[in-house]
Amino acid sequence: MSAIRDFIGLVGDGVKANQTLWLLVFGFALFPIFSYFADLPFWNDVAMRIMLLGMAAMGLNLVLGYGGMVSFGHAAFIGIGAYCVGISQFYGISNGWAHLGFSIVTCGLAGLVIGYLALRTSGIYFIMITLAFAQMLFFLFVSLEAYGGDDGMSVDRGEFGFIDLYDPLRLYFLIWCALALVSLALMFIVRSRFGVTLRAIKSNESRIEAMGLSPLRFKMVGYVISAVICGIAGTLFASWQEYVSPDIMHWTRSGELMIIIILGGLATLAGPLLGAIVFLLLEESLPMLLGAVAPAYAENWMIIFGPLLIMVVLFGRGGLTGIIDRLSGTRGNADHKAGPR
Amino acid sequence: MTLTLILEQAFNGLQAGVTLFLVAAGLTLILGIMDVVFLAHGAQVMIGAYAAAAIAAATGNFYIGLLLAVPVTFASGYLLEFLLIRHLYRRDHMDQVLATFGLILFFNELIRIGFGPAALYSDLPPSLSGFVEILPGTPYPVYRLGVILVGLACAIAIHMFVSRTRIGAMVRAGANNPEMTAALGINIKILFRFIFATGACFAGVAGMMLGPITAVQPGMGEPHLILSLVVIIIGGIGSVRGAFIAAIIVGLVDTLGRVFLPAMLRLVVDQATADGAGPAVASMLVYILMAVVLIFRPTGLFPAKG
Repeated sequence: MSAIRDFIGLVGDGVKANQTLWLLVFGFALFPIFSYFADLPFWNDVAMRIMLLGMAAMGLNLVLGYGGMVSFGHAAFIGIGAYCVGISQFYGISNGWAHLGFSIVTCGLAGLVIGYLALRTSGIYFIMITLAFAQMLFFLFVSLEAYGGDDGMSVDRGEFGFIDLYDPLRLYFLIWCALALVSLALMFIVRSRFGVTLRAIKSNESRIEAMGLSPLRFKMVGYVISAVICGIAGTLFASWQEYVSPDIMHWTRSGELMIIIILGGLATLAGPLLGAIVFLLLEESLPMLLGAVAPAYAENWMIIFGPLLIMVVLFGRGGLTGIIDRLSGTRGNADHKAGPR
Repeated sequence: MTLTLILEQAFNGLQAGVTLFLVAAGLTLILGIMDVVFLAHGAQVMIGAYAAAAIAAATGNFYIGLLLAVPVTFASGYLLEFLLIRHLYRRDHMDQVLATFGLILFFNELIRIGFGPAALYSDLPPSLSGFVEILPGTPYPVYRLGVILVGLACAIAIHMFVSRTRIGAMVRAGANNPEMTAALGINIKILFRFIFATGACFAGVAGMMLGPITAVQPGMGEPHLILSLVVIIIGGIGSVRGAFIAAIIVGLVDTLGRVFLPAMLRLVVDQATADGAGPAVASMLVYILMAVVLIFRPTGLFPAKG
């Protein structure tokens, strides 16, 4: 009994400390009601994309924000997760749970191998070796003609037993459940002894080593967990898009994930989700806004988006969560506001 | 066929290698000395290519295009450092990645607005479009040979400059220990701006030379950026000599791998497997090379810092 009470207490503490995150997750649960009454079914699609990218960014944030490992190749895990659907279906396996299982195992293994090799380096070299592995996998899938090569392959939505993903909103809530579970899991991980150690490694690796712990092992575990989360997001992404191609793991997507995290706020749980909301809303609305002002240039919305990103870097220290913290006056942990080196 | 083909492809690899070096030389100094992850270096390649193509089209003279593209890219690098990059020196790598990623989006879109999304093709003047025999019975395009020679000349010039001149000594000192260099009374701000503009300029030279042999289009710089990152990681960040050797290795491995690897695989496995896996492995080859180098030498082949 007391164990259950402890658990509930733990969840309560976590939720209290991460109100923004759970407010957002709750908001996504209610969003379909809003979009139904506002007659904006298209925005359900956008919301799903936000949740998927947000989920992947949350996974990356574990290594990038909390662990201080700047991985520039996490799109590869999204791609592996997505191709788990495509390749399974290619061989006649249409069960969605099986896809998820494959994706978790494959991404875990890939994360283990890439992490083991890449974590021997640090700094810029780490950024580049993760990019190199992602590029390797990208070109591997580009040249695998059996699985569509450059053109990719179209896939059916996975069969999740009694949940028929072709029913309206079923996919939405499947993605939502995954988002909620990932949020919950990450909340526990970050607050656990493991999470605290990971953050300690980020701020002073040699001190952790001096305390008799192996930083490499902690980093590896973190890397594998984040790879698996990105893989799950990728698997669901394939079902959402009903199409898989190497584009999903293009290096610019790894960049996008990083942007989403920095935009939202490093080493915060809500940050990546917040970042994904803003990022994708900008992506959707900038063409419209630009189209209203200068119709000829509606396509060229990136001319505004690029400088906007630069502005965020130059003036928005700590990302959106940092701004929210500053506005509400609650100074969060110092991680938000990492000063100059 | 074999010797001719091998020789021809080796020259192609060399040509890819020296252009890669021109891109990587600037980047290795920017990364090594200023410690800035400058992802928009590929955009400088694009600016160089567009400047050359546009000026050549406007004046009707290919050579004027080539000549004027150099100051244009130098100026763009100078301006960029002044407006944005100098604010990023004291930021962490993440911020630099984000800001320079934003720059890539901006430049690609700017070019798309200015010149349209389609690729530009520039014609070579007749004096450059012929062939020379590099060996009896082995013709090779004059222009590509010229690219190799210009690239090698640039490489020698960069080497002499870095190892023999006073400013070069400052550059090397800056790569080793920027704080100490500044403490010795060297104006590191001016030095940085100069290095940055020069680096951008070399990327532009690579772009303008690549113009006539590749498609000049928005986003053309990104493959060069990624490959030159691979080069400087293999060569060791901050080392010009390392960048040169690594660029030639990467150029040769990439070019020769794509041509000969499928055939070589056919000797080991059956043809269907070889045809399937050959191109896949060939395009992964440079990244495999980089991963292997990093695993055995985590700071590259010729690390500049002690």
